[in-house]
Amino acid sequence: MAREIEFRDALREAMTEEMHRDERVFLMGEEVAQYNGAYKVSRGMLEEFGAERIIDTPISETGFSGLGIGAAMMGLRPIIEFMSWSFSLVSADQVLNNAPKMLYMSGGQFGVPIVFRGNDGAGGQLGSTHSWCVESMFANVPGLKMIIPAFPDDAKGLLKSAIRDDDPVFCLESERLLSLKGEVPEEEYLTPIGEARVRRTGNDCTIVAFGRPVHFALEAATELAKSGIECDVIDGRSIRPLDMDTIATSVRKTNACVVVDQSWPFASIASEISAQVQECCFDDLDNHVHRVNNDDVPAPYATNLEQAMLPHAGKVIEAVRSATYNL
Amino acid sequence: MTIPITMPRLSDTMEQGTVIKWHVQQGDAVSSGDTIADVETDKATMEMQAFDDGTVAEIISKEGDTVDVGATIAVLAEEGEESSTAAKAEAPTETDTQDAPAEQPEVIEAPSAEPTPEPVAEQSAVSQPAATPAASPASAAGHEHMRVTPVARRIADDNNLDLSLIHGSGPQGRIIKRDVLQAIESSKENQAAVPPAAIVTSDKPTEMAQVVTPVSTTALVAGDHTAALTPMRQTIARRLVESKTTIPHYQVTMKFNMDPLLELRKSLNDQLAHHEVKLSVNDFLVRGCALAMADHPDFNASFGGDHILYHGQVNIGVAISLPAEKGGGLVVATIRDADLKSLRLISAETKVLAEKARTRGLTVEEMSDATFTLSNLGMFGVEHFTAIINPPNSAILAVGASVQLPVVRDGQVVVGHEMQGTLSLDHRVIDGAMAAQYLQTLKELIETPTMLLV
Repeated sequence: MAREIEFRDALREAMTEEMHRDERVFLMGEEVAQYNGAYKVSRGMLEEFGAERIIDTPISETGFSGLGIGAAMMGLRPIIEFMSWSFSLVSADQVLNNAPKMLYMSGGQFGVPIVFRGNDGAGGQLGSTHSWCVESMFANVPGLKMIIPAFPDDAKGLLKSAIRDDDPVFCLESERLLSLKGEVPEEEYLTPIGEARVRRTGNDCTIVAFGRPVHFALEAATELAKSGIECDVIDGRSIRPLDMDTIATSVRKTNACVVVDQSWPFASIASEISAQVQECCFDDLDNHVHRVNNDDVPAPYATNLEQAMLPHAGKVIEAVRSATYNL
Repeated sequence: MTIPITMPRLSDTMEQGTVIKWHVQQGDAVSSGDTIADVETDKATMEMQAFDDGTVAEIISKEGDTVDVGATIAVLAEEGEESSTAAKAEAPTETDTQDAPAEQPEVIEAPSAEPTPEPVAEQSAVSQPAATPAASPASAAGHEHMRVTPVARRIADDNNLDLSLIHGSGPQGRIIKRDVLQAIESSKENQAAVPPAAIVTSDKPTEMAQVVTPVSTTALVAGDHTAALTPMRQTIARRLVESKTTIPHYQVTMKFNMDPLLELRKSLNDQLAHHEVKLSVNDFLVRGCALAMADHPDFNASFGGDHILYHGQVNIGVAISLPAEKGGGLVVATIRDADLKSLRLISAETKVLAEKARTRGLTVEEMSDATFTLSNLGMFGVEHFTAIINPPNSAILAVGASVQLPVVRDGQVVVGHEMQGTLSLDHRVIDGAMAAQYLQTLKELIETPTMLLV
């Protein structure tokens, strides 16, 4: 049986279920306990699990992510919440230099089974420094896993898999999706990390997207269908590992590919997928892979400029029309 | 400094041009505005002028070469510069750039294999001279600079299709999957070659789907040979397939008693002989077709998808065949405001345009905006034929010869002249009864030809 719940509730269900299942799991971050989470993701969890397992921290990302990494190395299963991934930059050494490399550097002695999660991407007028999309920059690092759910059911299933995973998993959530409602099964389930999901099928063009841009892609595909252009919309769900099989299978069918990515274009996720598609589907392409990214500028504060800078359905439609020679 | 002369874009849709004739040769001095070459575009043969003063240092594209717009086709040396050395004037000798490869020869004469049709700009000091002669893609053999997407190439290979026979509808003529699939589809349907009454005008292709000419995939046997399509032949192939496959054609034929018109023509020509005026039957027909528009505005109209466009001017297109030595084919010259022009003026204009079409070629302007087309094969002894509509026209009249034959007049069999005229019509605009009524009006005008004088 499935019922409709919000994205934020799906995240909370994942954490509470896993905390009931495994006493090594705990949640730590700014305002996660007494304030119920800056975005109310952890509402009620302090009452349910107590202050030992739902831990408020000072504003010190370097400190609490390092503390989490140490706890993970010693056998616990921390969930570290960043109010925003933008703030994780101050703890870059912990997050990027320690967590993903520890297993390698310790010769296999210390793994880091930790989950870092929080809001990623533009929240709406948060300005240049608080609108980070870290996926392109962070996914560059070997040793980590990265999940980026677009719907509540995947948010729950992927986060549960992340908590059980023995590697550091970065869970990128969108503030703009937290209130999105969707059907989530009542019974327990896991969504495997590294498997994309085809959200819509069509023969004319493959659209690949992750996280919030999946919704732009679906909106664009609905609109394009009115003029007879049918798209495969692939919800990538995880960036590392990347499900290239699903993408390539689709591109071999459609011969056209558009990647929608909410990070900057230079050396981006879209660039990476574009390169891999061209490596494994060269003889199947009827056009170069088209990328829809943020514009290559810091996020503007003004709402109209911010909208112009971000990917949206209109840009996706334009890219698909171009990729399929339907301009 | 050398000045590259590049293939100009002479029409909106032009992507490639063919150098038909050079009017200058190496060493000739040219001034800005001089005609230096005749260039054939997809629509017309046009004169190409020099934009700078100088001396022709190098002719890169030979007569007959087809090159992309923007490709360098010749090089000018500026005044005071030795024309014979200008082309390689900038070849590096002892270079002072540190990045120069160690094995850099002192004098580079052979151009690099890299095609660099773009002039100088970002090239470093050690790279090739501004206009590298043989580096132009024009000199590469046929297929090499054809643009084809990987999947289009793969599908064509799988189906043994010759890509050079496929029209590319993508950017810069790129052959895309859709083009190859349509070619395969067309060859499956085993359609015949392009029908004879082929017509080219300068009108832009309509918004209708790009249509690819059916392509024969028959293997060559001994004695066969192929000839590359001229731009005009490509345009004929594309436009007429588009017309014939997207416009619901039908034909209506009527016979005209030509005796009164032939008598009037003889009388007028006798009287005007000392003015060197010689009116043709075709001139009368142009006038007749134009005057008939007054009663039948639907014939001066175009189908516009969700509307019909009624034209404010009556411009009659006259199909003119071109001599084989000019590459053959045919063009449609436009007699503008033909309903307002006298027979004498129509005759004079037609003569000038026909002569120009057959020698130097018509400009885009001279082939634009026809609203109705007349195609006449009477001079070849043809009695009856049908023509393909020339989009965006809604009708075309195909007329044959005035033939002497026994006819019944006032209940008596007598010898008279008759001519057959066959309208091809776009049924989306013109219905059968309307066609019959137009022909009736035309018949009255032709059989009472003094009407054409006023």
